[in-house]
Amino acid sequence: MPAEIQIQQLFKKYPNGTHALKGVSLEIHKGQFFTLLGPNGAGKSTLVKIMTTLINKDSGSFLISGINPEQNPSKIQNIIGVASQDNEIDPSETVESLMIFQGRLFGLTRPEANRRANELIEWFQLTTERSKKASALSGGNKRRLHCALALVHRPQILFLDEPTVGMDPVARANFWDVIIALNRKEGVTVFLTTQYLDEAEKHATGMALMVGGEISYSGSIAGFKQMVNPEDELSLDDSYLHYVKTLSNQESLIQ
Amino acid sequence: MNTANLLLINRGILKLIKQPSAPIMGFAMSLFFLLVYNAGIGGIGSLDAFGEGGYLSFVFPITIISLAMGSSAGAGQTLNADMQSGYFRRLYLSPAPRYILVVAPMFADILSSMLFTGILLIIGAIFGVSFQFGILSALGVLLLSFLWSLTLCGFSAGIMLRTGQHQSAAIVTNAVFPLLFLSTTFLPRELITAKWLLAISWGNPVTYILEGNRYLLAGTSSAHFFHIALIIFTLTSVLSVAFALSSASKIKV
Repeated sequence: MPAEIQIQQLFKKYPNGTHALKGVSLEIHKGQFFTLLGPNGAGKSTLVKIMTTLINKDSGSFLISGINPEQNPSKIQNIIGVASQDNEIDPSETVESLMIFQGRLFGLTRPEANRRANELIEWFQLTTERSKKASALSGGNKRRLHCALALVHRPQILFLDEPTVGMDPVARANFWDVIIALNRKEGVTVFLTTQYLDEAEKHATGMALMVGGEISYSGSIAGFKQMVNPEDELSLDDSYLHYVKTLSNQESLIQ
Repeated sequence: MNTANLLLINRGILKLIKQPSAPIMGFAMSLFFLLVYNAGIGGIGSLDAFGEGGYLSFVFPITIISLAMGSSAGAGQTLNADMQSGYFRRLYLSPAPRYILVVAPMFADILSSMLFTGILLIIGAIFGVSFQFGILSALGVLLLSFLWSLTLCGFSAGIMLRTGQHQSAAIVTNAVFPLLFLSTTFLPRELITAKWLLAISWGNPVTYILEGNRYLLAGTSSAHFFHIALIIFTLTSVLSVAFALSSASKIKV
């Protein structure tokens, strides 16, 4: 099966001297639910920003659905949906008008945009909030709206960068119900970065671990747990902690 | 023009309609200037140097210029609000061409400036401002006002995009403000006695837009001021738009 996302030897250094990516290579297949894990500052968000064309890489190459995003950014915007760590909402607009505007911006006709807005408002349980201005929403509902906006144009690939931060357990469960349905029923590829390892373990089929701008593991979650502790069945959370601690101990020894 | 461009331009206009404080304040300030200058020193309008239109026609161009100054920070403020809320990034990730994210609020700003300039011209006409070439004078004033607004708006938006600071949208207005007083704002050149002020006024671009407008309205200046103003402000408009567009690539998203 051809990879939907192909990343080869990506390097990125910020003007302040931080080497955010040091030769990252990954392959994510169509319809896969993939999670990228790693401690804060590992370079996960930088990788997502490069793939979604928010920032440029220094060197290396990457293709999304066979398209070079740097050469065809608008083509890529039509097939990806992005829900980043921070809310991206115009606080002065209502839930419904934001949804419809987003749809129209992605080329939906007015009736299509209305229908899609209604659908997403229902999916994300925002029905009672539809006429409220975004500024009047609770923190959790702002997150729901933020995530719903990423789905308006029916993207075939979803980049979710810590999407459930700030959501209560009910909102989180509701959010994952929607995402899992899209992934399983409609074959939407999901690229998730998260610090909630229980969510990653529950939903993802493939993973990579990123530390210090490098991929230190890439494969299945079961394979990772097996690699960390071949004898005992640890949770992903415990395996991750164990692995990261071992790595930092090794680094301390080297230093 | 594609749908995304039209939607974003429409959004920019609606933003201004929903939050019209900047253009309305600019308009009110312009009317205030016209009123107090004419009431305070309008009596000297009987001097020959002010022409047949009197002091009202002479001082009227300053109200046009100050109008654009009052509202030119609007685009920068809209961009800043979108950046602060994170919404700019959502727009940035849409298939809309990225230049339109900057051009749309500027377009709205210019449109509002043109609208209020038109209203000022009507008020001026009602109160006796003379139009040397009739409707052509009004069109000429609108053209100069367009170029002046575009210049201020483009630099203002560009600086805001580069600094990301809300306050920086007003930098251009603050920088230009002293130029209003280093020109032939209140008196014609022949009545200014300070040689240093005369010398500075020659190099001050505001002088050319003021005198260009006076050529069209009061008829107290020559056509070459209008021509020079057209050249200067066409160039500054092009520069400011280029500056604003190049600033879009400097945004930290």
